[in-house]
Amino acid sequence: MSVQAAIDLSSDRIRVDDVAPDLAGRAGLVGGGALGVAVVLGFLGGSEAFFRGYLLNFAYFLSLTLGAFFFVLIQHATRAGWSVVVRRLAEQVMAGFPLMAALSLPLVLAILLGWPNGIHAVYAWTDPELVAHDALLQYKRGYLNGGFFFVRVLIYFGVWIWLGNYLYQRSLRQDVTGDVRLTSEMQAISSPGLILFALTTSFAAFDFLMSLDPHWFSTMFGVYYFAGAAVGAFALLAVLMFTLQAYGRLERCVTTEHYHDVGKLVFAFVVFWAYIAYSQYMLIWYSNLPEETGWYLVRQQGPWLAVSLALLFGHFIVPFLGLISRIPKRRKQTLLIGALWVLALHWVDMFWLVLPRNIGHGAEARVAGLDVWELIQCAVCFIGVGGVFVWGLAGRMARAALIPERDPRLGESLGFENL
Amino acid sequence: MSQATLPAPARTAARGAANRPYGVLVEFDSPIDLKVAAEAARDEGFTRWDTHSPFPIHGMERAMGIRMTILPVLVFACGATGMLTGLFLQWWANASDPIAYQFVFEYIPTWFQAFLGYGFLVSGKPYFSLPANIPIIFELTVLFSAIGAVFLMFGINGLPCWNRPIFQCERFRRVTDDRFFLCVEAADPKFDPQRTLRWAESLGGAAVEVLYDRDESDDQPPAIFARVGLFSALLALIPLLIIVMARSSKSESPRWHIIQDMDNQERYKAQQAMPLFADGRSMRPVVAGTVARGAEFLQEDEHFFRGLVDAQLATSFPPRDPTRDEPLIVDDAFLRRGQERFNIVCAQCHGRDGIGQGLVNQRGLELTGDRGGAWVQATNMHDAEPRGRAHGHLFNTITNGIRTMPAYGDRIPERDRWAIVAYVRALQRARNARESDFPPDVLRELEARRP
Repeated sequence: MSVQAAIDLSSDRIRVDDVAPDLAGRAGLVGGGALGVAVVLGFLGGSEAFFRGYLLNFAYFLSLTLGAFFFVLIQHATRAGWSVVVRRLAEQVMAGFPLMAALSLPLVLAILLGWPNGIHAVYAWTDPELVAHDALLQYKRGYLNGGFFFVRVLIYFGVWIWLGNYLYQRSLRQDVTGDVRLTSEMQAISSPGLILFALTTSFAAFDFLMSLDPHWFSTMFGVYYFAGAAVGAFALLAVLMFTLQAYGRLERCVTTEHYHDVGKLVFAFVVFWAYIAYSQYMLIWYSNLPEETGWYLVRQQGPWLAVSLALLFGHFIVPFLGLISRIPKRRKQTLLIGALWVLALHWVDMFWLVLPRNIGHGAEARVAGLDVWELIQCAVCFIGVGGVFVWGLAGRMARAALIPERDPRLGESLGFENL
Repeated sequence: MSQATLPAPARTAARGAANRPYGVLVEFDSPIDLKVAAEAARDEGFTRWDTHSPFPIHGMERAMGIRMTILPVLVFACGATGMLTGLFLQWWANASDPIAYQFVFEYIPTWFQAFLGYGFLVSGKPYFSLPANIPIIFELTVLFSAIGAVFLMFGINGLPCWNRPIFQCERFRRVTDDRFFLCVEAADPKFDPQRTLRWAESLGGAAVEVLYDRDESDDQPPAIFARVGLFSALLALIPLLIIVMARSSKSESPRWHIIQDMDNQERYKAQQAMPLFADGRSMRPVVAGTVARGAEFLQEDEHFFRGLVDAQLATSFPPRDPTRDEPLIVDDAFLRRGQERFNIVCAQCHGRDGIGQGLVNQRGLELTGDRGGAWVQATNMHDAEPRGRAHGHLFNTITNGIRTMPAYGDRIPERDRWAIVAYVRALQRARNARESDFPPDVLRELEARRP
């Protein structure tokens, strides 16, 4: 139980309908333009570079959406009180699933149609000629084929859009009605929702990212993607809180205590990510089986070794030491730096998953180095997919309050204090 | 609104010495009232006081003016210690020994060498490999942090503390239920019985009470506790006595085989019969035509490996040592090697002098005859017969054994067998030496000693 301080909400600005539409318009324009540029560059520099750059950024922004979805689910499942004032922000990120589904179309359609050719270089299992000469891929054809892939992606996005919508619409309706039963409904769906979330996220990670190397497998790969998604989404939440306060919103209802708690989540999931990343690495390293170690061998050679070490230090050791104390988590400027750092390293993590690979076969096989076209596509697609992501997010923010105004636990959240 | 009970020393009135006030206790109905009162106490400048509530109250630390605890910093230090301990422990246990052997072993004092680790090669990984060490490092970091957090918290809070005078207060019992208390102790330098009581009454609590120290001789536990305690202590001795008894008595029955460790397995041992194969052997012979790898093992040199020259027992030493790919030269070093091997392997039966009266031989003869043994007297190497044998004959006897002498072919490498043959020749020669065998100066010395 906490002592609830009476905070007068009427003096706080909890809407961004003045600046958000403008931002949404500009972000949409930039994003759409960048995606157009990426397509043109795809004709110049090859469609494989386009697909890799696009997949990287699609996986990145999908992970942020999924992480926000996880945040909302877990708050409802645990009936959390502290997080009510920041839950709406996560809900608004989560409600971007329909947009993410639309953004998945270039990949899904290319896989389904087998066109353009670059998709075969990205997803080797889509190349019928290659599969015909590969006993393992023939064996996996029952799962790894365009049609079933399409069906699975339909299921993932079906679940996400339906559940996300279920939660977001009820939260919005409560702003008007103040009905406590809506909270009960959201809580009731969240525990089964978490199970669905775990399954769909895992398999989506298998399908979109693990199948880049169709011979390789790791049963905890889905958890690895989830860990990164959670870190990224919590960091994004901190960035959103800071940005809105910088614009004079939520100045009184979001306090140091909420920054502190979001900071704790970022810290905890930085450790969780490292735990999972290490567990995956250690099991493969120790058993030393050729069909598993190859995936890491690629990432220990050439420029990829530097990326791997950057992840070890940047994605774990630096934020671990930087965020372990309560002081940087309770100062929003330092937490912002930590959150932006973690968001950047999460992007590097996706980069590390998507780009390193072996090319050529047999005696001519070698590790692919850094390719200029791919790096350009990574950057352009970041602006493109990111712009569309911000367009959707800012649009949703403009249409609703930034906090669930009539949530039954709002008072608890407003008066929340850490020890 | 506040009804202050009079400062009457309730139950302990009769005991003069114990009649000192312990502190002033104020009761509140709600956590908010307590928080406001705590702010007042903080501003009043008290130092020896505390608040009590059934649950943690957010913001109470600030209201009471309590500084942030140093515990997190200490726990971080504990964790760092655990991490370094895990790292050092594993390096020491598995890598210190191989590294020491490679570089500095001769400089390490002998007594300290025993404390070095033991390098285990696991799965072909390096002796010191970080990926394998991280789980232990992680566990020790967590263990040290957790133990540090709990016990440092105890230390900082002065725990364990079984009893406090405030527990004597009847009213205080509801602190675990629905009441909130503030207590200013008399030990506080700002405490003044009259003034502090007036201040406490001004806080607006539901009740104010002065607490008194009590004579603790009153608080002895009931006598039954002591009896039960004594009885339990005696009972606790029983397992100890059982162990003492078990260790000091003898038993004819075999030990209980509690931990099997796969000691008894359903498998065939080397020389057992096995119905599965047509030849009935459980030990499978080498497939016909199998050739070991490497020229050394092909053993093509009949002279060196079998002591044969043109299918006859060799009368000379082999000219080459194919295992070393160099000429075999019978020199002083070779003879000394033979002497060393002879004294280790042969002397038990044949004696260091080769007469055949080694300790094993003596014991063998003792057991032969009435006592059912079948020992054959070890050969005296100085008899005419062994002296007349070819070199190859001795080599063959060492290799394959004879009578009760076992075959040493699998235990002594060929080169050493030849060295032993050479040393036996030297022994035989020494036993039957002539004057002309001695160098002149040695001979002169011997002459001088002749009685």
